[in-house]
Amino acid sequence: MKTESNTFDAIVIGSGISGGWAAKELCDRGFRTLVLERGRQVIHNQDYPTAHLASWELPHRGTMPRKFLDENPLISKAAGFGEDTAHFFIQDKDHPYIQEQPFDWIRGYQVGGKSLTWGRACQRWSPYEFTAPERQGYGMNWPIGYEDVAPWYAHVERFIGVCGHADGIEAMPDGEFLPPFELNCVEAHVKQRLLAHYGNRHLVHARWAHITEPKEIHTQQGRGQCQARNLCMRGCPYGGYFSSVSSTLPWAEKTGKLTIRPFSVVHSVVYDEAAGKASGVKVIDANTREELEYYARVIFVNASALNTNLILLNSRSDRFPNGLGNDSGLLGTYIAFHNYRGSVSGVMPGFEDQYYYGRNPTEPILANFRNLGRQDTDFVGGYTIFSGAWRARGPAQHPRPAGGAYKDARSKPGPWHVYMYMQGETIPKASNHVRLSPTETDPWGIPLLITSVGYDDNDERMVRDFLEQGKEMLEVAGCTDIEQRDSRQAPGLDIHEMGGVRMGKDPARSLLNEWNQLHACRNVFVTDGACMTSTGNQSPSILYMALTARAASYAAEAMKQQRL
Amino acid sequence: MNRRDALAATALLTGGALLGPGLWLSSCGSDAGVPEGVLEAEPYRLLEAIADALLPDTEASPGAKAAGAGPFMQLLLTDCYVEADQQRAVAALAEFRRACLARHGRAFEMLEPAQREELLLWADAEARRGTGMQDFPLLRELAERSYFSSEAGMTQALRWIPVPGRWQGCVPLEPGQPAWG
Repeated sequence: MKTESNTFDAIVIGSGISGGWAAKELCDRGFRTLVLERGRQVIHNQDYPTAHLASWELPHRGTMPRKFLDENPLISKAAGFGEDTAHFFIQDKDHPYIQEQPFDWIRGYQVGGKSLTWGRACQRWSPYEFTAPERQGYGMNWPIGYEDVAPWYAHVERFIGVCGHADGIEAMPDGEFLPPFELNCVEAHVKQRLLAHYGNRHLVHARWAHITEPKEIHTQQGRGQCQARNLCMRGCPYGGYFSSVSSTLPWAEKTGKLTIRPFSVVHSVVYDEAAGKASGVKVIDANTREELEYYARVIFVNASALNTNLILLNSRSDRFPNGLGNDSGLLGTYIAFHNYRGSVSGVMPGFEDQYYYGRNPTEPILANFRNLGRQDTDFVGGYTIFSGAWRARGPAQHPRPAGGAYKDARSKPGPWHVYMYMQGETIPKASNHVRLSPTETDPWGIPLLITSVGYDDNDERMVRDFLEQGKEMLEVAGCTDIEQRDSRQAPGLDIHEMGGVRMGKDPARSLLNEWNQLHACRNVFVTDGACMTSTGNQSPSILYMALTARAASYAAEAMKQQRL
Repeated sequence: MNRRDALAATALLTGGALLGPGLWLSSCGSDAGVPEGVLEAEPYRLLEAIADALLPDTEASPGAKAAGAGPFMQLLLTDCYVEADQQRAVAALAEFRRACLARHGRAFEMLEPAQREELLLWADAEARRGTGMQDFPLLRELAERSYFSSEAGMTQALRWIPVPGRWQGCVPLEPGQPAWG
């Protein structure tokens, strides 16, 4: 039953990196917005229990006890997971799913979602990424191009604060940047050697969601300068990095238009057969198990890529018996991710008289140099490389490894190390999919998700190429003791799962149009990782934010004009 | 050798001979001050002594014992190590104790500092050669990890700045400057 208290202009499902942006843009335009979050409330600062602790003040100084690891083999693998951050991740037993092939589904169920623990890299896609799949014959084009997203990248960059350097590199367009974190002297050396040797391989500052020089827009959010503590994933008391908890959600709240409802597990989007559009959202209260309905003119689904798939698949009606908007039958298919398997490392001789000050929460990047504009390898797609140099404690070998002289030597800086790891494009395909279990349900009675996602030969060839190129580049840079590693980690551990509700021009081959609306149900927007038509090779979060802001602006305009 | 050392050495020698390898004297010392965990009182004290000889007090910084490495090694081994590694640590301590008695005729804790250091270097070399003390590196790992993560290790041996305030990528290393914690 519709009442004033359960009816809003807009409902946003999910409070993470994209949901927060939907809420901000809709509230900024005067629309009463309900954000549904399945997990608990997290308030900036107040709910960062470890933010000010030194490592020795943590019970096991950061290491998770074995009992926890035994009970949580999945979540404890996640990047950044530890005794200081465990409270921002789920526990395995609470949230089961079915892996038809190994898939590490990393989740953070709380207000802010995974925006609290994200990697914070914010490179733009280049025009190539939007067109390469079709041009080079491995996929479908996006319904939009770089020029459609560019102003929204800028809009997001200004608000969240992105530091970086305008490098003028074709593969990685420049944006509106705050000053970057300096390269250290070994990184600067590697940069120079690679450029001199290859001519077109640029090791540069990556672009990171850190405020290095607060602007008025940041102080208005109550956020300040990054203090170079590199303790980001505990939640930053300074608001130095972007999360929806420190930025978009409190901003939206200040408009007076926002309602956040934690502990709200979304069961499905409700379709009104008579009206021919979605009417609202069915929710199960995580604590009371009570079933509730909320109503709105537009619904943004930002539940994180796979949960967005799950909710839409579970949104069944006479009109959409196989899931909301699923006329093409493709909902849940073309799931893809990023390939992080390869890494290389080496020791850099020399530079003993050089060091650094502070703890750098960022790392340099080597922009993609593969298959850029033309096919030049035995695989399709490209890869980005993150890289860095650091000084270990010394010395690696000591002639008398015991006693006072040894202890004092171990307390001094030791040799420099250099590393590189890949972030590779993967190819969306129908066979990599998720679907609902016909028999098994979660504690809230919602069908369990089955993941059926794996690597293919193209991924294997890309890993081989990276390992060869990485080794060669470390040699060129002057490293010794070079090691190559293929982690063979399962898909999902990259935490860049994408697709299943892809954008496209043709409703027969896609689910979403150029404004992220379901082709067949226009008042439902999907702007999280589920909307991705291809994966590109750059970290995707800022693209989700840009697409969300763009779609929310469109939705707001359409509501004003009574078209939605 | 002082009286206390002599008594202890005799007791340990006798004990070692009577009880055979791998068994600990229960008569020697109480459990007072020994935190609960995988290690019984005597192996616990031996590990603490090994850590302190490996990383002793110096002018620059306190040693492992003063830094409280003992209780943390017990906690880490008990809560965070898999059972197989716990057993390896226990066995390594027993092997070390036997070797100490065989070479010096008294307990490690009773040796002069220089003798302790030599025995650790011997154990380290044995492990490297593959001729014995194969799990000595595990004891070293426990000691170093516990020491360098402790407050004293992080702030007096290493340097920990809670809030650096800024990042500088390339600065000259000052003579004698410790590593960042």
